[in-house]
Amino acid sequence: MVKEILIGVFRIKKFVVSFSILASIILIGVVGPIVYTVVPYKTVGPPEAKPSETYPLGTDAYGRDLFAQVLNGISTSIYIGFLSAIVGTAIGVVIGTIAGFKGGLVDDVLMVVTNIMMTFPAMLLMILVAAYIEERNVLYVALIISFTSWGWIARGVRAQIMSLREQQFVFMSRMAGLSDVKIAFADLLPNMASYVFMCFILLTSAAMLAEAGLSMIGLGITRGYSLGTILFWARMKEAVRRGLTWWFIPPGAILVAITTSLLVTATALDEYFSPRLRGR
Amino acid sequence: MLIFLLPRAVPGNPLYSLLHKLSQTAQTNPEQLRLVEKRLMEEFGVGKPLLQQFVDFLIRTLNGDLGTSYFFYPTKVGDLISVHIPFTLGLLLPATIVSWVLGNMLGAFAAYKRETLKDNALLSVFLILSTTPYYWLAMLLVYYFAVTLHLFPAGGAYPIYIQPSLSLTFIAAFLRHYALPFLSIVISAIGFWAIGMRVMMIYELGSDHISFAETLGLSDRKLMTYAFRNSMLPQITGLALSIGSMLGGQLITEIVFNYRGTGYLIFRALIAGDYPLIQGIFVILISTLLIATFIVDVIYVYVDPRVRTGYSEK
Repeated sequence: MVKEILIGVFRIKKFVVSFSILASIILIGVVGPIVYTVVPYKTVGPPEAKPSETYPLGTDAYGRDLFAQVLNGISTSIYIGFLSAIVGTAIGVVIGTIAGFKGGLVDDVLMVVTNIMMTFPAMLLMILVAAYIEERNVLYVALIISFTSWGWIARGVRAQIMSLREQQFVFMSRMAGLSDVKIAFADLLPNMASYVFMCFILLTSAAMLAEAGLSMIGLGITRGYSLGTILFWARMKEAVRRGLTWWFIPPGAILVAITTSLLVTATALDEYFSPRLRGR
Repeated sequence: MLIFLLPRAVPGNPLYSLLHKLSQTAQTNPEQLRLVEKRLMEEFGVGKPLLQQFVDFLIRTLNGDLGTSYFFYPTKVGDLISVHIPFTLGLLLPATIVSWVLGNMLGAFAAYKRETLKDNALLSVFLILSTTPYYWLAMLLVYYFAVTLHLFPAGGAYPIYIQPSLSLTFIAAFLRHYALPFLSIVISAIGFWAIGMRVMMIYELGSDHISFAETLGLSDRKLMTYAFRNSMLPQITGLALSIGSMLGGQLITEIVFNYRGTGYLIFRALIAGDYPLIQGIFVILISTLLIATFIVDVIYVYVDPRVRTGYSEK
């Protein structure tokens, strides 16, 4: 079963290309800091040095190695992306499942909350929360992002559950005397696995962009490097206006590469899992 | 209500950080401290129960009084915002509309040419554009057009030496400053709209009524118009939903360009810990958003004949 899916998926050219880009960037982010041992926080050379053999991506205004920063930044950004996607998807799925399954008053209340979350611009909410936390580590930033971005997942899951719970196999389980929780987890969730997985991937990409956005305002992680904080420092030190291309282009380009390949991977998987879209 | 509760609910009470700031000011300016402290006691109602504070806040907000900024001291929050908000709206609204129109047209074009080289090329460009963050694109644009080519200024909303007025020189200078932020928002938003439109169009072109029209021998042009009209509806809803995220991106773009809008003001307020100002900006921005969403809803009624007849029948 798993093997069949894998073979099928890897026949899609789009998927293979985007997935290999994604996998290699993740690999670089994970293995890079172990292999390339230059400490990103330490001054190792002249300030604002151009890329050379000693400094593959040059140095920043304090003479710190940018290649080391980017390597660290990739892993931090991806970590924040996945962590907030996990938490965000979990919140969305739980709320959506409860709302769709229970219906009635519970559904109404949960949907009001969800709608408020959705109409309230996520970025503003993130700014508001992040501004009042003084020490922001990776975990906080990830949580802030996930707490503001689960709305549409909850809505989607709820709609799916609503249509699924009228299916016969759910009645069968209910007749067999299974509890609500068991039905939800054993019968309903597996049927939505591909949808939830899609949400997860899209949320990862959105969360990474949100992290970079927060960092740009100066509300990212307070210690360490993410792709966003490198851009933030590049902006603070006027790297753009002084033409220090090696400082601000690589982190942004990598960010775009990751998010684009995530998006393409998700679309390719979606096409594979829902045959209606195939061949169009 | 969220705006009111959140700052109070999260750890690191803003009042505390305000008082902390106050004690710093005390060393330099004890007179101002006493004055501000008195005002603070009045305005924030320190010591009053939370509910009382909330009611006060609501009543004052409804009366149009957003309090006094701490950082720009005697200036009222309302005045500060009214100076900055025209810049934000003047940038956000045209940019959103232009990108929406262009995106829809390009998306429809890609759908018309579907499964061809042109479609594939356009689609890849859209995909990359839709994930490109506004601010990074803004940095690239500044680097290329302002630093390398010296075509446009690198930041600001207008030169400092010119006073805002309706003179020709000011308008010309303003437009030159306007170009880059405008472009960066338009370009990075086009991809999102184009992808949505392309999917909708392909779906519409495959639907029964279009196939029927095709068998009647209608021209391609006519068919496209029909499909286009139907695909517009979800796009209008999308516009209503996305105004919020557009605003978020806009705020960051403003910061990158040092553009004198509300995003820039928020940035200053956040750095200064200017709590009433932040609160005020949020109140204004969110009410603006609600109004915008409402307007789009009204437009929707005019555009969609089904909704329109639904209303008139009632």
